[in-house]
Amino acid sequence: MPIVSKTRRQTDYNLFPPSVPIVIDNGASYFRIGWAGETEPRVVFRNIVQRPRHKATGETVTIVGDQGPAMMKFFDCTRSGPRSAFDSNVVYQFEIMEYILDFAFDRLGASGSAIDHPILITECVGNPVYSRSKMAELLFETYGVPSVAFGVDAVFSYKYNQRHGKCQKDGIVICPGFTTTHTIPFVDGEPVYKGSCRTNIGGYHVTDYLKQLLSLKYPFHSSIFTWEKAEELKLEHCYIAPDYVSEARKFQEGTKEAEEKTRYWQLPWIPPPIEVPPSEEEIARKAAIREKQGQRLREMAEAKRSSKINEMENELHSLHFLVKQLDQVEEDDIPSFLSDTGSGVQARAGVYCLEGDTGASKSKGEPKDETDEFEENNDSNEKYPLINVRTICLRLSSENPEFYLEEMRAQYKEVLERVEQKKRLKTNGSNTNGNQKSGNVGRGERLSAAKRERMRLLTTAAFDRGKGEDTFGAKDEDWQLYKLMSKDHDEDDERPDSDEAELARLSSRLQEIDPTFELKAEGEPGQASGEAPRVRPLTEEDYKIVIGVEIQVVGGEANELDTDDRWVQPCPGLKERLECGIRMIRPCGSTINVVQAKDPVLDAWRGASAFAADLNFLGNAFTKKDYYEKGEEWLRRYQIGYNTL
Amino acid sequence: MEAELAEADIVVPMHLSFKKTQAYEKYPKGQSRGRWKHLKQILQADLDPSSFYINIESPPSTQPCKRICDVTGFEAPYVDPRTNLRYANAHVFKTLRSLSTHQVHHYLSIRNAAPLLK
Repeated sequence: MPIVSKTRRQTDYNLFPPSVPIVIDNGASYFRIGWAGETEPRVVFRNIVQRPRHKATGETVTIVGDQGPAMMKFFDCTRSGPRSAFDSNVVYQFEIMEYILDFAFDRLGASGSAIDHPILITECVGNPVYSRSKMAELLFETYGVPSVAFGVDAVFSYKYNQRHGKCQKDGIVICPGFTTTHTIPFVDGEPVYKGSCRTNIGGYHVTDYLKQLLSLKYPFHSSIFTWEKAEELKLEHCYIAPDYVSEARKFQEGTKEAEEKTRYWQLPWIPPPIEVPPSEEEIARKAAIREKQGQRLREMAEAKRSSKINEMENELHSLHFLVKQLDQVEEDDIPSFLSDTGSGVQARAGVYCLEGDTGASKSKGEPKDETDEFEENNDSNEKYPLINVRTICLRLSSENPEFYLEEMRAQYKEVLERVEQKKRLKTNGSNTNGNQKSGNVGRGERLSAAKRERMRLLTTAAFDRGKGEDTFGAKDEDWQLYKLMSKDHDEDDERPDSDEAELARLSSRLQEIDPTFELKAEGEPGQASGEAPRVRPLTEEDYKIVIGVEIQVVGGEANELDTDDRWVQPCPGLKERLECGIRMIRPCGSTINVVQAKDPVLDAWRGASAFAADLNFLGNAFTKKDYYEKGEEWLRRYQIGYNTL
Repeated sequence: MEAELAEADIVVPMHLSFKKTQAYEKYPKGQSRGRWKHLKQILQADLDPSSFYINIESPPSTQPCKRICDVTGFEAPYVDPRTNLRYANAHVFKTLRSLSTHQVHHYLSIRNAAPLLK
């Protein structure tokens, strides 16, 4: 269960006299602050800082802790990611530390001109004196704190548990933290730092590992696997197996136990619409629609034909008139007259007249007959070739609208295939994965191919000028190189344009006349358009904590351990795993007692709080005067005496 | 400041009464890079032999390395000669061979086994 942040501003700051110390547990993951003597810290938050810009005003603001997206939408976070003051488990960025302390004291309700309480703050084991002194300086100078004490969080937790009887005064504490894991032996209630050991693996590394594995296994959904999501998954579902290899074998064999432990995570998915075979009435309805379409086409053709017939009738009338005129005009003048009016030989005109008559009278009749008539009687095919063309056109579109449609569809398919082929060649490059990822890789490869081409041009063409000297640019022709380069780049894209234009034309025509035609979406080749992420099958959450690096247990006689795991915290199975591991190392038959801290998360703070509440606390803390007078050497050797607890 | 933002009160106020010098005075804009020493530099500067931080660090484990399959997490007795990835059985091997170079490199780098020059 994840750790919850508490950041409400406290109102009772003024009720505490200046003798009450403030206790701070400054961890790489979470920051806890509260009053000495209490059992719960007052303010808890994630130890990170963001400095985004406010979208409306443009000023840079500071936000401490983890905030949900609801609040963050007011800010422009592109230039500022969350930053931590820690490098591994040591504080090094004191500007960020200052922001954090500002926020913490503010939430604790601090007011007045300085923080007038002694402060107990936690640090890591073996904290470098540089970090320690900078922290002390920050507290004394900026916040006006009267006295400061440093302690190790794991030790506080151990002492707290010891006080409550969970462990003895001799023992070893194992503290897996956010970025590191420590083991600290205790002798007679005091920690032996010389014997302690640190491994640089912590909860952060585990979460990161999980995140990377998931991203690799499901590259299509990689955007879902954020660090926070991986952390959530880890806290909820992961466990530590007592023996990794045998556990893995169980999963490999697919035993029932393994099945129970497997967790599935289903992503939202819309199934593609199923192709139901059309029912009777569907078919009938579609047939009716098609019939109607055919009918409409026929009517359109009819209308066109009748308008054409009207035209022809008009021509007929004019020709009649011409013929009459011819009769009236003299024989000699006929050629000239005819050439004026632009019609053919008189005889031909006459023949045409007859046919025109018959044609006009039969215009309302069967379309076939009319065209036949024209064909039979017409010697003037050559002279009036357009007539035939018109009739053929008319015939096709009026008789067989469906046939026309089929032809169009076939053409469309052809052109579409050609275009898609070209696209596929472009994007697929040499990668023949067939995965969805290939699209991305292909595009990247294509880009780099073009880029490579440009580089090649630049280097070769520009190079072979002058013997060893770079005289590129001396001649005007040299600059044509750039034209060449950019042209190369463009040519690539312009070639399929003709095909695409054809495609566009065909598809628009088809859309007009075909009721069942659907425009093929310009999606990635190989994917149905508009499909949401598909079913996400299993994510097996069988986890091993790969603390494959064995934790070294130093200082062998103590064989009692107390585990205070804060970040790996509710991981079930840690205790058993430790027991197994230690049993392997220790001589056979020795007693092993592994104990888990009462509350792995808060015990450190509680221990610190109890320590600070003790009357002798001030003896352990150092004041500003001490800090400046005694110097760095003293600060290096400074340790608090834990046995007062 | 929008109404709900002000109510949520998540922004650190610019001026705090209990501070002697405010943050914006101390850290003028545009100077944050390169101001603070990283841990490595801190440790290098700290040459005193009694300094604990470096001494405490544990040496690498003397136990032999557990051979775990890179893709599935099972026990992996075999190694692919071409990519140097570990795999558990023939089925996994098939998927291994279909991975892109980028993925292979990623798997290896998780294990700290990625070659330095691609």
